[in-house]
Amino acid sequence: MAMQPELDTPVQNSEPTTARPVRHLELKAALLLVFTALLVAGSAFYLLYARGVFEPTQRLVLLTDDSEGVVIGMDMTFSGFPIGRVRRVELAETGNVRIVVDVAQKDAHWLRTTSVFTLVRGLVGGTTIRAFSGILTDPALPDGAERPVLRGDATAELPRVLASAKEVLENLGAMTSQDAALRASLANLQDLTQKLKGPRGALGVAFGNDADAAKLVAALDRTNALLARADTLAAKAETQVFGPQGVMHEAQATVAQLGSLLSETRDSLKKVDAVLLEAQGIGANVRGATGDLGSLRGEVEVNLRKIEGMINELNRKWPLARDTEVKLP
Amino acid sequence: MTGVSTGLQQLSRTGSAPLRWLAGWWRIVYFGASLLVLALSPSSWRREVRQALMRHLYLDTAPILWWFTMLCALLTLVITRIVVVTALSYGLSRYALEMVIRVLVLELIPLTAALFVALRCTIPNGAALAEMRRTGQFDALLRRGMDPVVTQALPRALAGIFATITLAALSCVVALVLAYLAVYGWTLAGAPAYTHVFGHVFNPAVSLIFVLKTLFFSLAVSIIPMASGLYDVEGDGSRESAALQGLVRMFAVLLVLEAACLAGNYS
Repeated sequence: MAMQPELDTPVQNSEPTTARPVRHLELKAALLLVFTALLVAGSAFYLLYARGVFEPTQRLVLLTDDSEGVVIGMDMTFSGFPIGRVRRVELAETGNVRIVVDVAQKDAHWLRTTSVFTLVRGLVGGTTIRAFSGILTDPALPDGAERPVLRGDATAELPRVLASAKEVLENLGAMTSQDAALRASLANLQDLTQKLKGPRGALGVAFGNDADAAKLVAALDRTNALLARADTLAAKAETQVFGPQGVMHEAQATVAQLGSLLSETRDSLKKVDAVLLEAQGIGANVRGATGDLGSLRGEVEVNLRKIEGMINELNRKWPLARDTEVKLP
Repeated sequence: MTGVSTGLQQLSRTGSAPLRWLAGWWRIVYFGASLLVLALSPSSWRREVRQALMRHLYLDTAPILWWFTMLCALLTLVITRIVVVTALSYGLSRYALEMVIRVLVLELIPLTAALFVALRCTIPNGAALAEMRRTGQFDALLRRGMDPVVTQALPRALAGIFATITLAALSCVVALVLAYLAVYGWTLAGAPAYTHVFGHVFNPAVSLIFVLKTLFFSLAVSIIPMASGLYDVEGDGSRESAALQGLVRMFAVLLVLEAACLAGNYS
């Protein structure tokens, strides 16, 4: 401690390095140095590990016509997981853009020969490169493969969206202008509500003028009076129909008489049935007589033929018989 | 070195204000370069200087290491919570972790470490040097054949640089661990994603800027207060003047460095 000057002022006493001796100073200082060195070295190692220095990669080249938004170090994701990192962006001889992506070999099996790559610019956040593999049984993508990338730009839709929004706003302005139909409709609606709140209410609105509404009210009054008279009439009709001297009693008597008349008719019909039975017997007899007439007629015809034959014989044998010979001239 | 210093002192006393201001800055740059050369010269590392360096290394760093780490841990928890909750409410949670790493590790912690070391160690050390010079102890050392720059200023400056780097490194590690715990909780499931985000943030350019920023911060907070205490950079050499001058110049340099780093990182 020969180099430590004498501390005799408040300022020097405020210094962290006091005159108080520190036990095992060299050891403590060495430990502190080692601790710091390990801390820095560990941080550097973790940084290199995080940068993927110790991870084997394979190369994938994506071809596109516009590299806007693509920056070195940006991720290529598969199902939201970063599996690759853009290492370089360069112009090809054909004018296309070559995006060289380092894909970690442990994640390279997600990329197949049929995989599709997209370059999407979102409204929020940066550009993203995404890989889609539909058929995971296809052959794996080889190292150094070149694939086209499909571009999608959300901001490209902005002018169209703005134009549509402007059109909508103009329509809205036209709708709400001083001479717009909507404003007139609203004014009419206000008049309507005023009329609804008026003395004639909805009737005045429905008929358009007070006179017709008054007529309807008068018609309703007359209808009420008519209904009252109809009630009186119904009461009287009930008395006439169902009263002691009403139609119903007479109708019941008539029905009783009708019952006796029907029984008498039934008796008459029974007699008619007997007459008909007798007539049926007579008919049967007539049918038998008609059969006998047929045979009688046959016998008469036979007898007539016999008589005719006998006459013919007589004529032939009789001397006065006419000469039936035909003489030739 | 003595001849140049004498010329600068004469310029400081006799020149106009802008010239004195320029001469002051030149003295600081010259002193810093001298310290670096002395630090790299084996002849400087005699036993007494090594003893003094070890003493300053330990006493300037160890007592404040844990307090500062605790302070940074608290700051990390508060800021991480604010950023994560705010990002979640806006549906931007995927950017929360990256923002926490950028704000805390890249920007806040190195600056805080440098300021903490300056206020706790290097500015009092510079004031002590000014006091020693004012009380004639430097002349006594010179008469004994010892250069006060080598024996007094060099260990203090190197201890300040070491303290700044140690505090910044430890606080960054603690902040990274706490930010991980605040976002993912007590699980290792988020470690791959977290490592990926960390690697995404610390690309080569940002890493280089971070290292250079921490290094220059440590140089600024270590050299400027020593230079202000060791020489009459401006004013009459009283201890208030030395401390104040060192503070103002150091803050100016820190501000310029931070602005340059921001421009480098985000332009």
